[in-house]
Amino acid sequence: MKLFIREHIPLIILHIVQMFLVLLIYWLDGYQNMLTALYSVFIGLVLLTGYLIYRYISHKSLYSKLTAPLETLDDSIQGGGSTPLSSAFDELLQAQYGHYRQLLTIREKTRNDHLAFMNQWVHQMKTPLSVIRLMMEEADDERSASILEETARMEKGLETVLYAARLETFERDFQVESVSLRGIVENVIHENKRLFIGNKVYPELLVESGLTIESDAKWLSFMIGQVVTNAIKYSADSNQKIIFTSYVRGKEAILEIRDHGIGIPLADRKRVFQPFYTGDNGRQYRESTGMGLYFAQEISNRLGHRIELDSEVGVGTSVKIIFASYLTKT
Amino acid sequence: MQRIMICEDDPKLSAILKTNIEKSGYDTGVVLDFDRVLEFFQSYDPHLVLMDVNLPKFDGFYWCRQIRAVSKCQILFISARSGEMDQVMALEYGADDYITKPFHLEVVMAKIRSQIRRGYGEYAQPTDERIVKLAGLVVYPERLELELNGSRTLLTKKEAVLLETLIQQFPRVVSRETLLDKLWDDQAFVDENTLNVNITRLRKKLQEIGIENAVETARGAGYKLQIVWDSRDL
Repeated sequence: MKLFIREHIPLIILHIVQMFLVLLIYWLDGYQNMLTALYSVFIGLVLLTGYLIYRYISHKSLYSKLTAPLETLDDSIQGGGSTPLSSAFDELLQAQYGHYRQLLTIREKTRNDHLAFMNQWVHQMKTPLSVIRLMMEEADDERSASILEETARMEKGLETVLYAARLETFERDFQVESVSLRGIVENVIHENKRLFIGNKVYPELLVESGLTIESDAKWLSFMIGQVVTNAIKYSADSNQKIIFTSYVRGKEAILEIRDHGIGIPLADRKRVFQPFYTGDNGRQYRESTGMGLYFAQEISNRLGHRIELDSEVGVGTSVKIIFASYLTKT
Repeated sequence: MQRIMICEDDPKLSAILKTNIEKSGYDTGVVLDFDRVLEFFQSYDPHLVLMDVNLPKFDGFYWCRQIRAVSKCQILFISARSGEMDQVMALEYGADDYITKPFHLEVVMAKIRSQIRRGYGEYAQPTDERIVKLAGLVVYPERLELELNGSRTLLTKKEAVLLETLIQQFPRVVSRETLLDKLWDDQAFVDENTLNVNITRLRKKLQEIGIENAVETARGAGYKLQIVWDSRDL
């Protein structure tokens, strides 16, 4: 409505000026009947108003489209009326929309192909890794133990790639159920067994066994795994423990993973959850991708959990994963 | 003698599986022609099939259905895909269990053993009981017993694991990492101190049956076993 009025102000002014101009010419010519003149002005204004009302009604959809913000791309091609201007405008939008869709479709296809290829490749790499692992397990000496350690690192890397690719299709790939928090943590610890032992860091498991939370076991395990890998890496060779505790606060259950490692400088602390952010520590330690905590946060957002990090340089780091609902079995 | 059929298209992997399964006392048949898996199955008539999912031509699910149509034998899937969907599919098609790559030897062997046991009863065990021996010293890991020249003593689970590992690796030095690794399988997350304590206890147990200083500390490397006892059985 506002736009419509702003659009037609020149027309209204023109119309009024034109009427008075005609009256002025008659008056200068000697015409003296004021009432009739005013009546003709009134008729003129009624006609103008009638025209404006018609115009507004016929172009209403166009004007509302122009003023209302677009919610989605698809809204732009909803009909805009049948007047010449509206339909021309619609055609323009349709054409633009078509071009964009086409571009998007092509991009999406190349991206999906790329993802599918990557997925397939990662799965194919698992067979050679299995062969290496089994050969080394057969050999069972110092050298093979060291190769096994590297194999484990490659396996971890592959797993991370897979999960990163899966994050895209997260909506179709998760299943929230009641899971035992302690059970999940135990599994994660066992998966990282060699990493713990190799780095002389040991877990201390103080998670209540009766605590169940609502989550997706697979994603939660991956997420805790990322946190644990960091904790081990940054407290390596300290002979310290990594402490897993759980407690309940009001309506929330909390899993805390605390290490006594080098800690994170204050400047880096705010940015640890950003992708590709390695910070000071990451640059000093090998194979930091800077993605671990970013993934952890992404996943926790999607599962409806929260993740918080607290750290002090030289003292250690504590990561809390907060679950909105829990059950305790006694 | 139980027969196990290996259907895995990676030749090295199937070779490793073959040697280890045979070591455990089973007979193995390896599929070479992946067009004719079913014919091989019928001629070999195995008790258990190890089936890879990604095979040339038809996938493992297809062959699993084919086998299920003619037999009730145990089928174990091996797959690189860890997605729940795949596991559900495998079980839908009639598989009995599922192993994801990359796997550990112990895990595969344990699963094979448990499937065979489940399918064919206790008598199907190729060996009645594991026995670990070294120069007359005998460990029964399943009974948690230790014996030398007729004198016996009981071991804890952890002590048994330690001693078994030391005997298997004899005469090499076993690193502390390896020992910790083995102990961890026992659902307990053992640290360095616990390892020290258990080594001390194991030495005491060995003393009980008259063996002194058999477990030697190799500085910075780990532990090794020395034969300091005489055996009447030799």
